[in-house]
Amino acid sequence: MADKSKIGVKLPTYLLKVERLKIRELMGAIGDDNPIYRDKSKAEAEGYADTPCPPTYITMAFQEFTGAYLEIFKMLNVPLEHVLHGEEEYEYNGEIFPGDVLHCHMSCESIVEKETRSGNLDLITLQTIFTNQKDQSVLKARSLIIERL
Amino acid sequence: MAPYVNFRDMQVGDMLPTVEKDPVTKTQLVRYAGASGDFNPLHTDDAVAQKAGLKGVIAQGPLIMGFVGQAITRWVSKRDLKRFQVRFKGMTFPGDIISVSATVTEKVAEGANLRILCHTEAKDQKGEIKLTGQFEVLYPIDTA
Repeated sequence: MADKSKIGVKLPTYLLKVERLKIRELMGAIGDDNPIYRDKSKAEAEGYADTPCPPTYITMAFQEFTGAYLEIFKMLNVPLEHVLHGEEEYEYNGEIFPGDVLHCHMSCESIVEKETRSGNLDLITLQTIFTNQKDQSVLKARSLIIERL
Repeated sequence: MAPYVNFRDMQVGDMLPTVEKDPVTKTQLVRYAGASGDFNPLHTDDAVAQKAGLKGVIAQGPLIMGFVGQAITRWVSKRDLKRFQVRFKGMTFPGDIISVSATVTEKVAEGANLRILCHTEAKDQKGEIKLTGQFEVLYPIDTA
Protein backbone atom coordinates (compact mmCIF):
# COMPACT_ATOMS: atom_id res chain seq x y z
CA MET A 1 0.00 0.00 0.00
CA ALA A 2 1.30 3.42 -0.94
CA ASP A 3 2.30 5.61 1.98
CA LYS A 4 -0.32 8.37 1.88
CA SER A 5 1.74 10.62 4.16
CA LYS A 6 4.02 10.94 1.12
CA ILE A 7 1.47 12.82 -1.01
CA GLY A 8 3.30 15.91 -2.23
CA VAL A 9 6.70 14.31 -1.90
CA LYS A 10 9.23 15.41 -4.53
CA LEU A 11 12.14 13.61 -6.12
CA PRO A 12 15.36 15.59 -6.19
CA THR A 13 15.47 17.40 -9.54
CA TYR A 14 17.19 15.25 -12.14
CA LEU A 15 18.57 16.02 -15.58
CA LEU A 16 17.86 14.52 -18.98
CA LYS A 17 20.03 15.46 -21.94
CA VAL A 18 18.10 15.28 -25.21
CA GLU A 19 20.09 13.35 -27.79
CA ARG A 20 19.50 13.31 -31.54
CA LEU A 21 20.41 9.64 -31.90
CA LYS A 22 18.03 8.68 -29.08
CA ILE A 23 15.15 10.40 -30.87
CA ARG A 24 16.06 8.53 -34.05
CA GLU A 25 16.19 5.24 -32.13
CA LEU A 26 12.73 5.88 -30.65
CA MET A 27 11.20 6.77 -34.00
CA GLY A 28 12.76 3.66 -35.53
CA ALA A 29 11.19 1.50 -32.80
CA ILE A 30 7.76 3.11 -33.20
CA GLY A 31 8.04 2.93 -37.00
CA ASP A 32 7.36 6.64 -37.41
CA ASP A 33 9.06 7.92 -40.55
CA ASN A 34 7.96 11.56 -40.17
CA PRO A 35 11.00 13.46 -41.53
CA ILE A 36 10.60 16.49 -39.23
CA TYR A 37 11.93 14.34 -36.36
CA ARG A 38 15.18 13.40 -38.11
CA ASP A 39 15.86 15.77 -40.99
CA LYS A 40 16.83 19.25 -39.84
CA SER A 41 16.18 20.82 -43.26
CA LYS A 42 12.62 19.37 -43.33
CA ALA A 43 12.01 20.64 -39.80
CA GLU A 44 13.35 24.08 -40.73
CA ALA A 45 11.04 24.14 -43.76
CA GLU A 46 8.16 23.79 -41.28
CA GLY A 47 9.51 26.66 -39.21
CA TYR A 48 11.31 24.79 -36.42
CA ALA A 49 14.78 25.81 -35.22
CA ASP A 50 15.83 22.14 -35.33
CA THR A 51 14.15 18.72 -35.35
CA PRO A 52 11.52 18.88 -32.57
CA CYS A 53 11.01 16.00 -30.14
CA PRO A 54 8.04 13.80 -31.04
CA PRO A 55 5.00 13.84 -28.72
CA THR A 56 5.97 10.72 -26.74
CA TYR A 57 9.72 11.31 -26.52
CA ILE A 58 9.42 12.28 -22.86
CA THR A 59 8.29 8.76 -21.88
CA MET A 60 11.96 7.84 -21.58
CA ALA A 61 12.46 10.41 -18.81
CA PHE A 62 10.91 8.08 -16.22
CA GLN A 63 12.41 4.68 -16.97
CA GLU A 64 15.75 3.08 -16.32
CA PHE A 65 17.83 5.83 -17.94
CA THR A 66 16.91 8.11 -15.05
CA GLY A 67 15.48 5.65 -12.52
CA ALA A 68 12.78 8.19 -11.59
CA TYR A 69 9.87 5.73 -11.36
CA LEU A 70 11.93 3.26 -9.35
CA GLU A 71 13.06 5.94 -6.96
CA ILE A 72 9.63 7.43 -6.32
CA PHE A 73 8.00 4.00 -5.94
CA LYS A 74 10.62 3.28 -3.30
CA MET A 75 9.81 6.56 -1.52
CA LEU A 76 6.10 5.71 -1.63
CA ASN A 77 6.61 2.10 -0.49
CA VAL A 78 5.02 0.73 -3.64
CA PRO A 79 6.29 -2.71 -4.64
CA LEU A 80 7.20 -2.78 -8.32
CA GLU A 81 5.48 -6.11 -9.00
CA HIS A 82 2.08 -4.61 -7.98
CA VAL A 83 2.26 -1.70 -10.37
CA LEU A 84 0.30 -1.09 -13.58
CA HIS A 85 0.43 1.96 -15.80
CA GLY A 86 -3.12 3.32 -16.09
CA GLU A 87 -2.92 6.65 -17.85
CA GLU A 88 -0.37 9.05 -19.27
CA GLU A 89 -0.84 12.71 -20.15
CA TYR A 90 1.44 15.34 -21.68
CA GLU A 91 0.84 19.07 -21.83
CA TYR A 92 3.07 20.82 -24.34
CA ASN A 93 4.13 24.38 -23.58
CA GLY A 94 7.14 24.62 -25.86
CA GLU A 95 9.33 22.57 -28.19
CA ILE A 96 12.16 20.33 -27.01
CA PHE A 97 15.19 20.05 -29.29
CA PRO A 98 18.30 17.87 -29.47
CA GLY A 99 20.98 19.31 -27.19
CA ASP A 100 18.48 20.61 -24.65
CA VAL A 101 19.10 19.71 -21.03
CA LEU A 102 15.80 19.12 -19.27
CA HIS A 103 15.45 19.68 -15.56
CA CYS A 104 12.88 17.14 -14.42
CA HIS A 105 10.79 17.87 -11.33
CA MET A 106 8.77 14.82 -10.32
CA SER A 107 6.32 14.81 -7.44
CA CYS A 108 3.49 12.68 -6.11
CA GLU A 109 0.35 14.69 -6.74
CA SER A 110 -2.23 12.38 -5.17
CA ILE A 111 -2.91 8.89 -3.88
CA VAL A 112 -6.52 7.73 -3.88
CA GLU A 113 -7.74 4.36 -2.68
CA LYS A 114 -10.43 2.73 -4.78
CA GLU A 115 -12.52 -0.38 -4.16
CA THR A 116 -13.21 -2.59 -7.17
CA ARG A 117 -14.80 -6.02 -7.55
CA SER A 118 -11.38 -7.55 -8.15
CA GLY A 119 -9.81 -5.93 -5.08
CA ASN A 120 -8.64 -2.61 -3.74
CA LEU A 121 -6.37 -0.30 -5.65
CA ASP A 122 -4.29 2.76 -4.95
CA LEU A 123 -4.42 5.30 -7.76
CA ILE A 124 -1.15 7.22 -7.64
CA THR A 125 -0.77 10.35 -9.75
CA LEU A 126 2.78 11.47 -10.47
CA GLN A 127 3.44 14.84 -11.99
CA THR A 128 6.65 15.87 -13.71
CA ILE A 129 7.43 19.39 -14.83
CA PHE A 130 10.19 19.76 -17.40
CA THR A 131 12.11 23.00 -17.75
CA ASN A 132 14.91 23.46 -20.26
CA GLN A 133 18.36 25.07 -19.85
CA LYS A 134 16.79 28.50 -20.49
CA ASP A 135 14.42 27.89 -17.58
CA GLN A 136 11.40 27.66 -19.92
CA SER A 137 8.74 25.23 -18.79
CA VAL A 138 8.30 23.11 -21.92
CA LEU A 139 6.22 20.14 -20.82
CA LYS A 140 4.12 18.83 -17.96
CA ALA A 141 3.55 15.09 -17.66
CA ARG A 142 1.08 13.23 -15.51
CA SER A 143 1.24 9.45 -14.99
CA LEU A 144 -1.54 7.53 -13.30
CA ILE A 145 -0.04 4.46 -11.69
CA ILE A 146 -2.29 1.72 -10.36
CA GLU A 147 -1.08 -0.29 -7.37
CA ARG A 148 -2.97 -3.52 -6.80
CA LEU A 149 -3.30 -4.00 -3.04
CA MET B 1 4.35 15.02 -44.43
CA ALA B 2 1.98 17.88 -44.84
CA PRO B 3 -0.79 18.51 -45.79
CA TYR B 4 -2.34 18.24 -42.38
CA VAL B 5 -6.06 17.98 -41.61
CA ASN B 6 -7.87 21.22 -42.38
CA PHE B 7 -9.89 21.81 -39.22
CA ARG B 8 -11.70 24.80 -40.73
CA ASP B 9 -13.70 22.31 -42.78
CA MET B 10 -14.13 19.73 -40.00
CA GLN B 11 -17.18 19.54 -37.77
CA VAL B 12 -17.79 17.92 -34.41
CA GLY B 13 -18.36 14.22 -35.06
CA ASP B 14 -16.11 14.07 -38.14
CA MET B 15 -13.40 11.38 -38.21
CA LEU B 16 -9.77 11.98 -39.10
CA PRO B 17 -8.20 9.54 -41.62
CA THR B 18 -7.38 6.30 -39.76
CA VAL B 19 -3.69 5.37 -39.56
CA GLU B 20 -2.96 1.64 -39.81
CA LYS B 21 0.37 0.33 -38.52
CA ASP B 22 2.35 -2.69 -39.70
CA PRO B 23 1.93 -5.79 -37.49
CA VAL B 24 3.73 -5.46 -34.14
CA THR B 25 6.87 -7.64 -34.07
CA LYS B 26 8.96 -9.03 -31.21
CA THR B 27 11.96 -7.23 -32.68
CA GLN B 28 10.02 -4.00 -32.39
CA LEU B 29 9.36 -4.66 -28.68
CA VAL B 30 13.09 -5.22 -28.12
CA ARG B 31 13.92 -2.05 -30.04
CA TYR B 32 11.33 -0.07 -28.08
CA ALA B 33 12.69 -1.44 -24.78
CA GLY B 34 16.14 -0.19 -25.73
CA ALA B 35 14.86 3.13 -27.03
CA SER B 36 12.62 3.94 -24.07
CA GLY B 37 14.49 2.30 -21.20
CA ASP B 38 11.51 0.13 -20.24
CA PHE B 39 13.42 -3.09 -19.63
CA ASN B 40 10.57 -5.04 -18.03
CA PRO B 41 11.14 -8.59 -19.39
CA LEU B 42 7.36 -9.07 -19.84
CA HIS B 43 7.92 -7.21 -23.11
CA THR B 44 10.98 -9.07 -24.35
CA ASP B 45 11.21 -12.55 -22.81
CA ASP B 46 8.47 -15.10 -23.64
CA ALA B 47 9.47 -17.35 -20.72
CA VAL B 48 8.95 -14.53 -18.20
CA ALA B 49 5.64 -13.56 -19.82
CA GLN B 50 4.42 -17.16 -19.75
CA LYS B 51 5.35 -17.46 -16.08
CA ALA B 52 3.08 -14.45 -15.51
CA GLY B 53 0.22 -16.35 -17.18
CA LEU B 54 0.38 -14.69 -20.61
CA LYS B 55 0.70 -16.54 -23.92
CA GLY B 56 3.90 -14.61 -24.58
CA VAL B 57 5.43 -11.15 -24.55
CA ILE B 58 3.12 -8.12 -24.64
CA ALA B 59 3.84 -4.70 -26.10
CA GLN B 60 4.76 -1.76 -23.86
CA GLY B 61 1.70 0.49 -23.41
CA PRO B 62 3.77 3.58 -24.26
CA LEU B 63 4.71 1.97 -27.62
CA ILE B 64 1.01 2.03 -28.53
CA MET B 65 0.86 5.60 -27.23
CA GLY B 66 3.78 6.24 -29.60
CA PHE B 67 1.68 4.90 -32.50
CA VAL B 68 -1.04 7.38 -31.56
CA GLY B 69 1.54 10.16 -31.33
CA GLN B 70 2.69 9.22 -34.84
CA ALA B 71 -0.90 9.45 -36.11
CA ILE B 72 -1.52 12.78 -34.37
CA THR B 73 1.48 14.53 -35.90
CA ARG B 74 0.45 13.19 -39.28
CA TRP B 75 -2.91 14.89 -38.75
CA VAL B 76 -1.65 18.10 -37.14
CA SER B 77 1.55 20.10 -36.99
CA LYS B 78 3.57 19.16 -33.87
CA ARG B 79 3.63 22.76 -32.64
CA ASP B 80 -0.19 22.96 -32.68
CA LEU B 81 -0.52 19.93 -30.37
CA LYS B 82 -1.11 21.22 -26.85
CA ARG B 83 -2.21 18.19 -24.84
CA PHE B 84 -2.25 14.42 -25.33
CA GLN B 85 -3.68 11.96 -22.83
CA VAL B 86 -4.23 8.20 -23.00
CA ARG B 87 -5.76 5.49 -20.85
CA PHE B 88 -4.23 2.04 -21.32
CA LYS B 89 -7.01 -0.54 -21.80
CA GLY B 90 -5.78 -3.79 -23.30
CA MET B 91 -2.75 -5.90 -24.04
CA THR B 92 -1.13 -5.92 -27.48
CA PHE B 93 0.65 -9.04 -28.74
CA PRO B 94 3.16 -9.53 -31.56
CA GLY B 95 1.24 -9.93 -34.82
CA ASP B 96 -1.49 -7.48 -33.79
CA ILE B 97 -2.25 -4.84 -36.38
CA ILE B 98 -3.00 -1.56 -34.64
CA SER B 99 -5.08 1.13 -36.25
CA VAL B 100 -5.42 4.59 -34.77
CA SER B 101 -8.59 6.58 -35.27
CA ALA B 102 -9.82 9.92 -34.00
CA THR B 103 -13.03 11.93 -33.96
CA VAL B 104 -13.49 15.67 -33.45
CA THR B 105 -15.40 16.18 -30.20
CA GLU B 106 -15.12 19.96 -29.74
CA LYS B 107 -14.36 22.89 -31.99
CA VAL B 108 -14.27 26.37 -30.48
CA ALA B 109 -13.01 29.63 -32.00
CA GLU B 110 -10.46 31.32 -29.73
CA GLY B 111 -9.03 34.56 -31.16
CA ALA B 112 -7.00 33.72 -34.26
CA ASN B 113 -7.19 29.98 -33.48
CA LEU B 114 -9.56 27.07 -33.34
CA ARG B 115 -9.32 25.01 -30.18
CA ILE B 116 -10.00 21.45 -31.30
CA LEU B 117 -10.54 18.49 -29.01
CA CYS B 118 -10.42 14.97 -30.46
CA HIS B 119 -11.15 11.57 -29.00
CA THR B 120 -8.73 8.88 -30.16
CA GLU B 121 -8.59 5.09 -30.01
CA ALA B 122 -6.08 2.39 -30.90
CA LYS B 123 -7.61 -0.97 -31.85
CA ASP B 124 -6.31 -4.26 -33.18
CA GLN B 125 -7.50 -6.21 -36.23
CA LYS B 126 -10.30 -7.78 -34.14
CA GLY B 127 -11.56 -4.39 -33.01
CA GLU B 128 -10.26 -4.85 -29.46
CA ILE B 129 -9.44 -1.50 -27.90
CA LYS B 130 -5.85 -1.11 -26.65
CA LEU B 131 -6.09 2.46 -25.50
CA THR B 132 -8.41 5.43 -25.60
CA GLY B 133 -7.40 9.03 -25.24
CA GLN B 134 -7.85 12.59 -26.24
CA PHE B 135 -5.76 15.37 -27.64
CA GLU B 136 -6.13 19.10 -27.91
CA VAL B 137 -4.98 21.20 -30.83
CA LEU B 138 -4.66 24.97 -31.11
CA TYR B 139 -5.13 25.41 -34.84
CA PRO B 140 -4.33 28.77 -36.45
CA ILE B 141 -7.38 29.75 -38.53
CA ASP B 142 -5.23 31.40 -41.21
CA THR B 143 -3.28 28.15 -41.85
CA ALA B 144 -2.95 27.82 -45.62
